[in-house]
Amino acid sequence: MGEPGLRLVPAGGGSADVDVLVGRVARGDASAFEALYDELSSAVFGLARRVVRDPARAEDVTQEVFLEVWRKAARFDSALGKAKTWVMTIAHRRAVDAVRRSESQKRQDERTAPEQVSHDEPADSVIAAEEQGAVRECLETLTDLQLESVRLAYFNGYTYNEVATLLEKPLPTIKTRMRDGLIRLRDCLEGHR
Amino acid sequence: MSTDLHTLSGAYAIDALSEEEAREFDRHLQECPACREEVRELRVAAARMGAAEALTAPPALKARVLAAADQLPQLPPKVSPLETVRKRRWSARLVAAAAVVVLALGGGVAVLESQRGENQGGVAATVTQVFQAGDAHTKTVQTDHGSVTVATSPSMGRMAVRTDGLRALGGRHVYQLWAIHGGTPTSAGVVKDLKAGAAMAMPSRGTTVAITVEPEGGSEQPTTAPFVTVDPRSV
Repeated sequence: MGEPGLRLVPAGGGSADVDVLVGRVARGDASAFEALYDELSSAVFGLARRVVRDPARAEDVTQEVFLEVWRKAARFDSALGKAKTWVMTIAHRRAVDAVRRSESQKRQDERTAPEQVSHDEPADSVIAAEEQGAVRECLETLTDLQLESVRLAYFNGYTYNEVATLLEKPLPTIKTRMRDGLIRLRDCLEGHR
Repeated sequence: MSTDLHTLSGAYAIDALSEEEAREFDRHLQECPACREEVRELRVAAARMGAAEALTAPPALKARVLAAADQLPQLPPKVSPLETVRKRRWSARLVAAAAVVVLALGGGVAVLESQRGENQGGVAATVTQVFQAGDAHTKTVQTDHGSVTVATSPSMGRMAVRTDGLRALGGRHVYQLWAIHGGTPTSAGVVKDLKAGAAMAMPSRGTTVAITVEPEGGSEQPTTAPFVTVDPRSV
C-alpha cells in the first residue's frame, strides 16, 4: 500500500520488535518486559495523559496497562494483530475506565472546557514525529462531525450516547459518523505505513 | 448481520459503548466474522491515533512498574487452541456434514476433518484454504503408494494433506493418519475420500504425522509400518 519503495522502514523501534518482545514476556522474560516498557511507555503514558489528564492518574493507568500486559502476554494472539495495537487497546480501555470511574463533577467541568492538548514533554524520536504527522494528516480527511465524534469518544472517554447529547445530534447519526470517521482514518493511515 | 448493530463497530472499537451495549456487541461478534475483522482494523487505526500522543513518561515510573511486575504472577496461555481455531473458522459457515475426529495426544490435539457435503468429489474446502494461505509451505513426498503433498500455514495454525496422488486401496483397506508424539502414535483419523484430503490443527512441536495402511474402519494402533512420515515443522 501507499508509495512502495519510498518509505524507509526504521531499524529498531519497529512493531516487529514489539511482537517479539511480547512473545518473550509471555515466557516470563523480565528483561524483555523492560525493553517493552522502554519501547511503548511513551505511547501508553501519552494516551493515558490525554484521556485522564491528571499526570499522577496517567501514571497509575500506565502502570495498570503494563501489569496487564505482563499478566496476559501468554494470551496475546499474534494471529489477530500486532502487539502494539494490543497494548494500545488495553491502554485506551484502562484510561477510559479511569475517567468513567472518576467523579461526575470533574467531568462536568471538562465537558464544557475547550480541548487542551498537553505537548509539554513530547517523546523525542524521528519515528514518533513521522507518525504524528501521518495521523494529523489523516485526521484532516475526516468531516468535522466525524472528527468531533471520534475525538470526543476516543480522547475524552465519552460514550457515543454522551457524544450525541453533547453535539445535539440524533444517536444513529453519531453512531454512523464515528464508524465512518474511523474507517476513513484507517484507509488513510494504510497509505502511511 | 443486523445492519443496525453492525454500525456500532466504530463505537465499540474505541470503547464508546455503555457496558450493556458492549456486552451485547461482544455476543454479536461471536457470530459475525466480518464485524470482528472490522473492529480489528479500526483498532489498528485508533491505536495509531493514540500512539501519536506519545509523551515521555516520568523516569521514576519505570522502576515502579518493573518492581510491581516482579511481584505479579502471569496468566498461563489458553490451552484450547483447537477450540478457538474451529470456532474462528467455522462459525460463519454451515458445515453440513463435517465429520470431525478429535483426539488428545502428548502436548496437543490432532483433528482430522473429513468434509463431506461441502465438496462433492473435490478437494475439501479446508484443505484448499491451507494450500492457498499466503504463508503456506508445501512439500510433496513420493511414497510406495503414490505422492502425498503436505501444506502448513502458521497464520491459520493448520496443516493439510492432499491425498489425491495416492493410489486407491482395495475395499478392505484404508489409509490412516497418525500423530506421533514421543514415540506414541495417536490416530488422527481415517482418510475417507482420497480426493478430499485432510486438514488438521497444526500439531504441537515434536509431533510428526505419519500415514499407514490399515484394515477397513481403521485401527486403534498402527498395524503396519508408516509408508510416509512428515515433521510438520520441516515443511
